[in-house]
Amino acid sequence: MEGQRPGCRAAAAVLAGSLLSSVLRATRVRALRGSPPMPLLEDVIPENVSWAAEEAQGNESSEHAFFSLDYQHVQVPFEITLWIMLASLAKIGFHLYNKLPSVVPESCLLIFVGLIMGGIIYGLNDKSPPVMDSDIFFLYLLPPIVLDAGYFMPSRPFFENIGTILLYAVVGTVWNVFGIGFSLYGICQVKAFHLQDVSLLHNLLFGSLIAAVDPVAVLAVFEEIHVNEKLHILVFGESLLNDAVTVVLYKLFRSFCEMPTIKSVDVFAGVGKFFVVGLGGVLVGLIFGMTAAFTTRFTKDIRVIEPLFVFLYSYLSYLTAEMFHLSGIVAIIACAMGMKRYVEANISLKSHTTVKYFMKMWSSVSDTLIFIFLGVSTIGENHEWNWPYICFTVIFCLIWRALGVLVLTFFVNRFHVNTITSKDQFIIAYGGLRGAICFSLVFLLPDFPRKKLFIAATTVVILFTVFVQVKTIWGSPADVKLIFVFVVMLQGMTIRPLVDLLAVKRKRESAPTVGEQIHIRFLDHLLAGIEDISGHWGQYYWKDKLEYFNSKYLQKILLREYDQPKSSIVLLYEKLERKHAIELAEAGQLGHAPSHPSLLNDRTVIIDKKLEDALNPDVLENIQEILARNLYRIRRTGPAYNRHTLPGEAEPVERAKEILILRHKSLRVEVSGSDTASSRKEKDDSYSARGDSSTRPRLCRSFTVGNAEKVREVKRNRSKSVCVIPPPQPSSTAWGEKKEMEKELTLEM
Amino acid sequence: MNAEWHLKHKGVSHSQITRLYSRFTSLDKGENGTLSREDFQRIPELAINPLGDRIINAFFPEGEDQVNFRGFMRTLAHFRPIEDNEKSKDQNGPEPLNSRSNKLHFAFRLYDLDKDDKISRDELLQVLRMMVGVNISDEQLGSIADRTIQEADQDGDSAISFAEFVK
Repeated sequence: MEGQRPGCRAAAAVLAGSLLSSVLRATRVRALRGSPPMPLLEDVIPENVSWAAEEAQGNESSEHAFFSLDYQHVQVPFEITLWIMLASLAKIGFHLYNKLPSVVPESCLLIFVGLIMGGIIYGLNDKSPPVMDSDIFFLYLLPPIVLDAGYFMPSRPFFENIGTILLYAVVGTVWNVFGIGFSLYGICQVKAFHLQDVSLLHNLLFGSLIAAVDPVAVLAVFEEIHVNEKLHILVFGESLLNDAVTVVLYKLFRSFCEMPTIKSVDVFAGVGKFFVVGLGGVLVGLIFGMTAAFTTRFTKDIRVIEPLFVFLYSYLSYLTAEMFHLSGIVAIIACAMGMKRYVEANISLKSHTTVKYFMKMWSSVSDTLIFIFLGVSTIGENHEWNWPYICFTVIFCLIWRALGVLVLTFFVNRFHVNTITSKDQFIIAYGGLRGAICFSLVFLLPDFPRKKLFIAATTVVILFTVFVQVKTIWGSPADVKLIFVFVVMLQGMTIRPLVDLLAVKRKRESAPTVGEQIHIRFLDHLLAGIEDISGHWGQYYWKDKLEYFNSKYLQKILLREYDQPKSSIVLLYEKLERKHAIELAEAGQLGHAPSHPSLLNDRTVIIDKKLEDALNPDVLENIQEILARNLYRIRRTGPAYNRHTLPGEAEPVERAKEILILRHKSLRVEVSGSDTASSRKEKDDSYSARGDSSTRPRLCRSFTVGNAEKVREVKRNRSKSVCVIPPPQPSSTAWGEKKEMEKELTLEM
Repeated sequence: MNAEWHLKHKGVSHSQITRLYSRFTSLDKGENGTLSREDFQRIPELAINPLGDRIINAFFPEGEDQVNFRGFMRTLAHFRPIEDNEKSKDQNGPEPLNSRSNKLHFAFRLYDLDKDDKISRDELLQVLRMMVGVNISDEQLGSIADRTIQEADQDGDSAISFAEFVK
């Protein structure tokens, strides 16, 4: 009996971590209340331990227990792991219960869990739960998320819209900051609110940290709305790049707070500092990116540590930038985007997969932890509630953002053909979420009397935007009676229904007929194709220059020999072809072409029957459903970046590969057909031949994981018959299967 | 390249012409003043566009393999947005290329491969097959095509003519 108690305590602590240990402690005796409260969570536990040790010693001094509890030895890593474990289990829990993710999205639920935990800890220990340390956030939790975002950022849409993004990020943020700061100052002047001691400078400081749109929250929220690519990249890019502005303004105002007088020279210094911060960040990032690429050139014999270099260099770039007070986020993004191309060409396929998966994993963990900590930290005595100030903060955030977006979009639309519609504008304005960055910044504020007010206001704004926006995305704008502390839950939760509403209003009343659906989709594809042909003329010039610079100098320095990517692409192509052949065989589609002539013959007979069928409403519904599900989406209507899946596995890419394989098949059919049938003109033959040989290389290139241009050069010399160059390495089975597949297809001709 | 001629006949503005020309030259890797099909196929997004091949074919006049800048621009001029001030001008002249009916005619030609001014069931099937995934069986596609023709067909010839398409 006696000997079992330490065992029980050990088991309990292991099972439920800090939460249950607090429960244990509370259910026993509150004798140790006199211990001084300290803000770190870690301190909750030592009391438990010392108490346990005391008891153990007191009652079992004569025994040498078989099970001894040495918690302090492993305390810190143990707790960190337990927090992460809790977060991940919560995530599993959400996904297991199928209904839940469709009603409330993840980040919302995570904050909930955090709030609950914070509440429990507070209730049990009767002191404020641990506050998330700003250092932890900025040094450990934020970099993985930003790295993930930067690495998987689709560079083409990003650079196509870079002007707009920069405009929103820089001008928009400055506008927001000053707008919010000044209007809050105006509110403070009103005598009724008892806020006169909050000076203009303090208000501006607060404005600077609350105005910044947060990439973490934006990512979490937007991936569930499924807006189109351009919009997604606009908001996302803006949230990433406004870090530079935020850093400068925040530091500027903070230093102003400490200075007795402010001269105009200081203001100009601030403006200059912005350029230094932004461009310096990019420079640091690029330097590290190039170094990383260069390093991977030599890692041929030590493949195992290749992924490590990617992470090390990126993290170093972040830390270096932070060290110089430059913008770390911009640096890490520049590093990731710069090195991606070269590193991917240099490292092996397996290292590449490792890099991708690890990045996703780390960013996922960070993301989860941030939201949980947010929830935990909001409970407690850190807040001073001044309702007017808080409400006005929220209102002004919304108003100024909306105004800023309107004005800026007006300017943007005058220069671009692809205008940003008002629906898009609404989403941009509404999607301006504040998140954990503001939260950490507010804790970094110097201690002045009203600091707690600011903390409270920040919390409200964040929770407002996250909850409201996040919940709205998914669904019923209805039940918003959630938390007793926070009153207004509008924004995030209503975004989805509002989006749907706006879209629905433009639709017609009657459902489009099948023919119209097809034709509309046809026209959309056509337009997308024409857009691509005509290109984006402005940036293409610079892109060409960059490509030239790249091929002449950079590739020689940073890449290893060209053999490597060739064979990996070919392998990938073979794999896909094999897979597709298997699928086709299973679906019985190999008889596709021959069935065509038979259709022609039986047409008159079949068509009457089919017409009758077609009239059937069930069949019609079926058709509509089939079309809705299976028509290929236009390239530009999907999200550009997804947190939870790797780029190569997202559905649109699968579809794209399907399209390519289909076309390849049909062209091959044509070629074989024109080989045997001599009815075509000579030119057609040569066209098909030429088209075919150039189609296949194009196909191969599209599956590229490495550098597209190199592959193109390689493909030019391919022969017509088979796409696969005989490199020395593919396995004989792969080769054999491919040949069989070829044989099958030609036989059926 | 006569800019005034283009301006007058197609209503393309000067800056648009220069931009298109720079795009043309950047696509033209062989630098011989014309584009071949391969030049088009080098555009990566076109490869994954289901209608990519047909769009490319639309640029090339009948039986030719090269398109010069004039032809390039002519095709692209179909897609300019319709401007109101043009409607009143030039009532007697040929209809501007970017009128609605010309745009629709362009799209119609992409469907109609054998150029008989009708979209037959097979042509529709081909296009459908290109636009839909591999999961659909032939019968389902066939019924979709039938339904489409049935909805649009008014003169009962089981094919869609241009007038029916326009509606």
